[in-house]
Amino acid sequence: MAETMLKIEDLKTYFYGDDGVVKAVDGVTITINKGETVGVVGESGCGKSVTSLSVMRLLHDTPGEIVDGSIEFQGKNLLSFSEKEMRQIRGNEVAMIFQEPMTSLNPVYKIGKQLEEAIQLHLKYDKQKAREHAIQMLKLVGIPRSDEIVNEFPYQLSGGMRQRVMIAMAMACRPKLLIADEPTTALDVTIQAQILDLMRTLREESETSIMLITHDLGVVAEMCDRVVVMYAGKVVEETDVYTLFEDPKHPYTRGLIGSVPKLGKNANRLDSIPGNVPTPSNMPKGCKFAPRCSNVLKVCLEKEPVLEKVEANHTCRCWLYQNTETVGV
Amino acid sequence: MQMLAISEHGDCGGVKMEAPLLEVKNLKKYFSINKGLLGRKKKFVKAVDDVSFTIKKGETLGLVGESGCGKSTTGRMLMRLLDPTEGQIYFEGKEISNLNDNQIRSLRKDFQMVFQDPYASLNPRMKVREIVSEPMVIHGIPKEERMERVEKLLTVVGLSAYHADRYPHEFSGGQRQRIGIARALAVNPKLIIADEPVSALDVSIQSQILNLLKDLQEEFELTYLFIAHDLSVVEHISDRVGVMYLGKIVELADKQSLYQNPKHPYTKALLSAVPIPNPRLKRERIILKGDIPSPSNPPSGCTFHTRCPLATEECRNKIPQVKEINPGHYVSCHLF
Repeated sequence: MAETMLKIEDLKTYFYGDDGVVKAVDGVTITINKGETVGVVGESGCGKSVTSLSVMRLLHDTPGEIVDGSIEFQGKNLLSFSEKEMRQIRGNEVAMIFQEPMTSLNPVYKIGKQLEEAIQLHLKYDKQKAREHAIQMLKLVGIPRSDEIVNEFPYQLSGGMRQRVMIAMAMACRPKLLIADEPTTALDVTIQAQILDLMRTLREESETSIMLITHDLGVVAEMCDRVVVMYAGKVVEETDVYTLFEDPKHPYTRGLIGSVPKLGKNANRLDSIPGNVPTPSNMPKGCKFAPRCSNVLKVCLEKEPVLEKVEANHTCRCWLYQNTETVGV
Repeated sequence: MQMLAISEHGDCGGVKMEAPLLEVKNLKKYFSINKGLLGRKKKFVKAVDDVSFTIKKGETLGLVGESGCGKSTTGRMLMRLLDPTEGQIYFEGKEISNLNDNQIRSLRKDFQMVFQDPYASLNPRMKVREIVSEPMVIHGIPKEERMERVEKLLTVVGLSAYHADRYPHEFSGGQRQRIGIARALAVNPKLIIADEPVSALDVSIQSQILNLLKDLQEEFELTYLFIAHDLSVVEHISDRVGVMYLGKIVELADKQSLYQNPKHPYTKALLSAVPIPNPRLKRERIILKGDIPSPSNPPSGCTFHTRCPLATEECRNKIPQVKEINPGHYVSCHLF
């Protein structure tokens, strides 16, 4: 049995607004083992980013709150940590890469200074050594003239270079877990290929566990070992990457795979999922996907299914696959 | 007399050649980035640099390329939202690149645009009815007809007639894009320029809009110029595809030739970089080194030589000419 790195159990993160409670994450369970890359897939508003922010405990300047569940990192419950203790973890053992490389770097500090801050803080290096380590990290992520780049400001770099700096920063303290929230969405395809290649190399060299949040099924197929599909704040399917693409169970996963135009396949029409993602104010009563589902049953509209094992290593939240005795209730 | 008219359209030897709906010749757009005061040399960003193509009636031409390659600028020049620096645009055989603002306004009835951002391209203070009927007001369609048409258009794009009295904020991204499409269809255009119409949408919604665009094309015999960065989306929707790099079209061919048998090293690299949703597929990937050079200071010779794995001395010095290597397959590369 592989060593468990992160264990999110029954996590519930709710947002309290003027229009009532928004259940952004509603009972999510995800486990990530050492050296494993787990993809979290879903469309906007499904709660995938809020899950990652909950792990990092970065919700304090939002109206969001973790109301239930547990997040264990190497056996330690992160939810019981104080803000001071969390600071020891963030950027050190657990690091994060954000979607927008422009907005996640500080525009008024030089690249070197931003990198060295984390290095000095967590690795306790002195200034000289921290600078050397920063330059070495930039070299590692393939930035040319890295000894000059440390003295430049973020605006002087292109989008791909900035994302490389973000990755260098995240990897600087050799994290055990890397949370990457849409790391290549803002980049062009040729640059995306460079960054994915880089993340693969770093993963092989350092055995880092990666939680990769994305909406791009192509990126999932290339990077992940296991995939969690989310819809409306809940996990609807979880399995290894091969099974997901070859034998998807949940009608949402199937619709999602069918919706993507595939290079070289000349389909005249795409399968599409009718309707829209439900808004928090009019969440359906039974299964959250029922109004858009092509296989909808009577029970779907009334009762919500649970996440159940359909095969070893494959779970699915759908009435089509529930045990007969549970359906009978 | 009739014979003469046919021969003017290039009909020779019994092969019927249809005049293109839109023809673009040597189109250029340079943006100046300083004033050139007191003898300082004026500097330019060559956003579009010598682009030529045609679009036949009823077909979809896709333009792909990475950010900053000039694909959107090209689209905006065709709409005459930007004035070309040089070059000509012919619409149904008539030159439109030299018309003034008033003359072009009445012509815009024939070509309409669908924009990328469904949140920014609809006026939040107007009701859907006003948004969709605005082009009809400009083109002088009587009021009763307008009211009737708005409701019909909304049904055509998959919304309902009762949506006409709502405001844009009441709709989701996909529905807003449908409103934008209804607005573009309002004046019965012949050509629709769609600039990244699905890139802001979720995948399940993206496929709905792509299917809608295909259905509408069939129903109203529309011609599309489809501008996007996503190669799979462009392959799905287009008949012919042009690949742009730093303001130039480097390769243009019908969809099958371009995707199955790409010639230009940039097209090859671009295609190999697209992640494919099949975990068993292990492909040889061409990873390009470095970033796209700045268009204000493009490399000499072939602009792609700084990243090209096959660059030679010739590529560094000489600008390649566009060559037709197979019928309808154009490549601009020294290798051919």
